[in-house]
Amino acid sequence: MSDHTHPTPAQYWKIAVVLAVLTAIEVGMYYIDRELGLGAFNAAILLVLALTKFIIVVGWYMHLRFESPFLNRFFTGGFILALSLYAIILGLLGVLVIRGGG
Amino acid sequence: MTDLAHEPELGHHDEHESTGIENRKLGMWVFLSSEFLFFGALISNYLLYSNRGGFDAPYPAEVYDIPFTSVSSFVLLMSSLTMVLAHNALSRDDQNGARTWLFATAALGSVFLGGQVFEFTDFIVEFGMTLSTNPAASAFYVLTGFHGLHVAIGVIMLLSLWGISRRQNGLSEKHGLNLELVGLYWHFVDIIWIVIFTVVYLLSLPPS
Repeated sequence: MSDHTHPTPAQYWKIAVVLAVLTAIEVGMYYIDRELGLGAFNAAILLVLALTKFIIVVGWYMHLRFESPFLNRFFTGGFILALSLYAIILGLLGVLVIRGGG
Repeated sequence: MTDLAHEPELGHHDEHESTGIENRKLGMWVFLSSEFLFFGALISNYLLYSNRGGFDAPYPAEVYDIPFTSVSSFVLLMSSLTMVLAHNALSRDDQNGARTWLFATAALGSVFLGGQVFEFTDFIVEFGMTLSTNPAASAFYVLTGFHGLHVAIGVIMLLSLWGISRRQNGLSEKHGLNLELVGLYWHFVDIIWIVIFTVVYLLSLPPS
């Protein structure tokens, strides 16, 4: 069973502000990369930011972190497995090679 | 996140399995997992073709309007906030609040869809990038088009709940669970866009 303790509306607003700031940083990184050509470093930062936003929305807005441990482990494990599968396939096909900044 | 409110689960029935989770809710999570694999395949398809040269220009990465798409992304992100506020309002039996936030979510989703229609029109009319211009363009339109379709379905479900709430002067316990399920679907659409925005728009480069 879930623990029935969800964030308050004020906390939801704070989470939204965090998400908005992370999005702004992402867009900022895009323009910084265009000027400086950060390449793989930029890609790593953007992917970490996207993953952070993903985890925040799934954890707090979709309430996964407040759900039963079964649901939490089952879908977190499944997500990691699926992500690993796509990464391996794309790596084998040579897609995950980061080129220099444009 | 220490100051947590006591928020009862919506639409509790006697449909618990040994997993301790509502059957319909578990079904929605399983459905969303399959959707995740579906979009994973479409995103992989785009990554495979996004910078494969030797075809007609323009490529998607040459025509993106990042400031415009950033605003669209922000709008969709904020719709997740209004969705969760609708869920929270209903859990406190604030029917007016739930109805207002539901409508706000549908409105923000519609704004996002309008932006996507504008973007597609711009790409086709201004830049001549159609579905058959090159494999990257095909992959782009199929991926973002399917995402847009999911948003449209979400907007229809949100407006349906809003209409039910207006007609019945509030959402019943049964519809409370429906709102939770629609909320899960809506947040899923948002997290898929989070990935698309980063991988497809911000990290994509045209053929060198």
